[in-house]
Amino acid sequence: MKSRETTMDASALKRPRRWHILVFLLPALAVYTAVMILPLIETLRQSFYNTVDGQYAFVGLSNFKVLFGDPRWAADFWNALRNNFVFFLIHMAVQNPIGIALAAMLSIPKLRFSAFYRTAIFLPTLLSFVIVGFIWKLILSPIWGVAPYLMDLVGMKWLFAPWLGRPDSALIAVSLISVWQYVGIPMMLIYAALLNIPDEVIEAAELDGVTGWSQFWKIKLPLILPAIGIVSILTFVGNFNAFDLIYTVQGALAGPDGSTDILGTLLYRTFFGFQLQLGDRSMGATIAAIMFLIILAGVSLYLFVIQRRMRRYQF
Amino acid sequence: MGSLELKSIRKAYGGHEVLKGIDLEVKDGEFVIFVGPSGCGKSTLLRTIAGLEDATSGSVQIDGEEVGHVAPAKRGIAMVFQSYALYPHLTVKDNMGLGLKQAGAPKAEIEERIAKAAGMLSLEPYLARRPAELSGGQRQRVAIGRAIVREPKLFLFDEPLSNLDAALRVNTRLEIARLHRSLKATMIYVTHDQVEAMTLADKIVVLNAGQIEQVGSPMELYNRPANLFVAGFIGSPQMNFIDGAKLGDGAAKTIGIRPEHIGLSRDGGEWKGKVIHVEHLGADTIVYLETETVGTLTVRLFGEHRYAADDVAYATPVIGSMHRFDTDGRVVNSGP
Amino acid sequence: MSKARTSIVRTGAVHAALIAYTLVALFPVFLTIANSFKSRNAIFREPLAIPTPETFSLIGYETVLKQGDFLGYFQNSLVVTVVSIALVLLFGAMAAFALSEYRFRGNTLMGLYLALGIMIPIRLGTVAILQGMVAANLVNTLTALILVYTAQGLPLAVFILSEFMRTVSDDLKNAGRIDGLSEYAIFFRLVLPLVRPAMATVAVFTMIPIWNDLWFPLILAPAETTKTVTLGSQIFIGQFVTNWNAVLSALSLAIFPVLVLYVIFSRQLIRGITAGAVK
Repeated sequence: MKSRETTMDASALKRPRRWHILVFLLPALAVYTAVMILPLIETLRQSFYNTVDGQYAFVGLSNFKVLFGDPRWAADFWNALRNNFVFFLIHMAVQNPIGIALAAMLSIPKLRFSAFYRTAIFLPTLLSFVIVGFIWKLILSPIWGVAPYLMDLVGMKWLFAPWLGRPDSALIAVSLISVWQYVGIPMMLIYAALLNIPDEVIEAAELDGVTGWSQFWKIKLPLILPAIGIVSILTFVGNFNAFDLIYTVQGALAGPDGSTDILGTLLYRTFFGFQLQLGDRSMGATIAAIMFLIILAGVSLYLFVIQRRMRRYQF
Repeated sequence: MGSLELKSIRKAYGGHEVLKGIDLEVKDGEFVIFVGPSGCGKSTLLRTIAGLEDATSGSVQIDGEEVGHVAPAKRGIAMVFQSYALYPHLTVKDNMGLGLKQAGAPKAEIEERIAKAAGMLSLEPYLARRPAELSGGQRQRVAIGRAIVREPKLFLFDEPLSNLDAALRVNTRLEIARLHRSLKATMIYVTHDQVEAMTLADKIVVLNAGQIEQVGSPMELYNRPANLFVAGFIGSPQMNFIDGAKLGDGAAKTIGIRPEHIGLSRDGGEWKGKVIHVEHLGADTIVYLETETVGTLTVRLFGEHRYAADDVAYATPVIGSMHRFDTDGRVVNSGP
Repeated sequence: MSKARTSIVRTGAVHAALIAYTLVALFPVFLTIANSFKSRNAIFREPLAIPTPETFSLIGYETVLKQGDFLGYFQNSLVVTVVSIALVLLFGAMAAFALSEYRFRGNTLMGLYLALGIMIPIRLGTVAILQGMVAANLVNTLTALILVYTAQGLPLAVFILSEFMRTVSDDLKNAGRIDGLSEYAIFFRLVLPLVRPAMATVAVFTMIPIWNDLWFPLILAPAETTKTVTLGSQIFIGQFVTNWNAVLSALSLAIFPVLVLYVIFSRQLIRGITAGAVK
């Protein structure tokens, strides 16, 4: 930094304060900080407070201890957490493979009608959970009988059951409805990644005799791994933040018998109360804090471990 | 109207110094070209004059007035950019008029100035078009027109020809030279192409690593390069450099001879050598000669000559054409 | 494409698979809309048939329009969505310009701070957001929703728009400076018109979660006068579970605007997803 101390000319070239930078940044910063960041911090803070003997006071980690271990809370919490993981795993195991398969088919060069398929398959993603939830509730309803009728056409009527109403199948059914709605997102992101692979690479593979399935496994899949990583983390964040679909299909109690209860619905019931249960602000904040930690852990794992290890290719 | 004075301009990004104290005077009406290899700081210097960058220290004066913290638009300059930088959503006419409109010039005057500039550059048929509907050469003319309309004290050109193809480049070069004569304006022009510099400039400023190596008219730089860098940078093919010791010249570390100042003969001469490659250009013949005493020489002969690889030839320097440089690369003036 | 690289069998199988999945994706939507125009008996007797003159009925729509204030809900949704998008675009573009154009201390840090909200859902702060809105007397106002959605949309908008703004030529902005444009004029008159395509993409991305959201309307603005379409239809359908005509009609009404917008913007949306999302 030799130049710094060199004789600044008398008319030192001092920049006038660049107020416009502040003006450009201020509105976004103000709204974002006031409505998003500060409430988030405040919520995290409240997870360390509770009402003790009518006094609102700092209680350390005792809210968390109650949530993890107190018989009134722990069963519900662990149940919701476990269901949430099942919910996520079903998405990873069903939604993403279907999305990749659809993207692979759509990216076949010169495939006719591919724009139509793409548009149609993406449509459910835009519908609200409320619409999706109710439509499927109707379709799967034994009263209407659409689902059994359709299954009868392929000779599988005996398999039909009121899946949404049974504790052992309700979570899977709700997860699959969510998969149906969201399959468009992995499809699109992976489709884009596939289109980014230069034709020359594929042509070289053809010349080397790598075609069809082995071309997909050996050439394309390694090249779209970063996109699959992004899809996975988006799915993770979305799933651990889910609420609307289950609330619509199964109600706030996430029945039958809590079998579809996930962290989002648990947070809602805890914070706002439902029927006989009273709302509990501190425990609500505690559950939100747990969700925050889970999502933060997932995002950090992705950003600092998975994304770093993943090889990116410059085309 | 239109002189420029730079006093010890320095510019540093973090700890990295891009300009290391530039002093320069440009007189009214001069056509000055900054030339140098990429990264030498020539564009940064131009942008500092324009006010798009602030110098870390030093002073910039236009017409004797300090403009160090005057906004670009208030410096009385106009700039033509390498990428043309036309406003894509405005017509040619509005592109040319925006600066004046912004300065609050009366409508009639704007119209008149645009018409005049469009006339000079034969842009009249395109005034209503948008940049996307123009060819590269037309866009470049609009960019120049936009500068002319402002009637600036200083025209600044930032490598304006480098996006054009070879034929168009020659045409536009002529056009800029013509404009300079008719406008009698002060122009500062940045390029890395020494041919552009030699053909257009009244005065060339050779920059290297953030410093001025030499300032002079094209012929001064060609005939009397102040140092090795300028000697090697100006002139094509490049000057031959010979180790002084090989010629028994104790005073000079390096001796330079331009390829066109060496004669070639099959019969006899100063340095014997073998031809390793010949380039026949029609007007010139370039011969690369591996000599026994002074290493590889490039020789430029005028007209056609029937040399071929592996021929034996003798090279002889033209008397008084040698440039002698000391160990620091500076020219030694006690020439023979 | 040479014949050597394609086979009819393979292409046929691919089309079969894609058609099958397209049916899976569209069938429920089709089923809902088709049955909403049928009489109650027809809905149950032949759920898969399209409405015929004999089975055609608008009774469901009549119930919906009589019972629920759907026009009002629709208006609320429209106000909330449009105002939020406008604010997200304006504030987001301004911040993106500051981050991409100027070098200043803390630039990178500011970018990271704003990007935080892309991954961390705003819902997690609901407890304190509600308290804040109660304190500010904004509960059961559309303003509360607009504030929340603006904050929610900003991070992604800033991220996408600053990527695009980096591609706007520096020469162009400098030409503007030499022509005497202020920094504000450069932003509004040169840069904004050039990033219009990106703005459209951001608008569509911002719109979908706002229009479809159930959580915040349920918590911040459940009053009859501030219900959005999503919340309104959720509650309406809950009340009319047994009136199938009404339920199907309400669903169709809720699908309709999304469908129209999708038909208009699907190109923009798909191009947006396939262009910038994967880097």
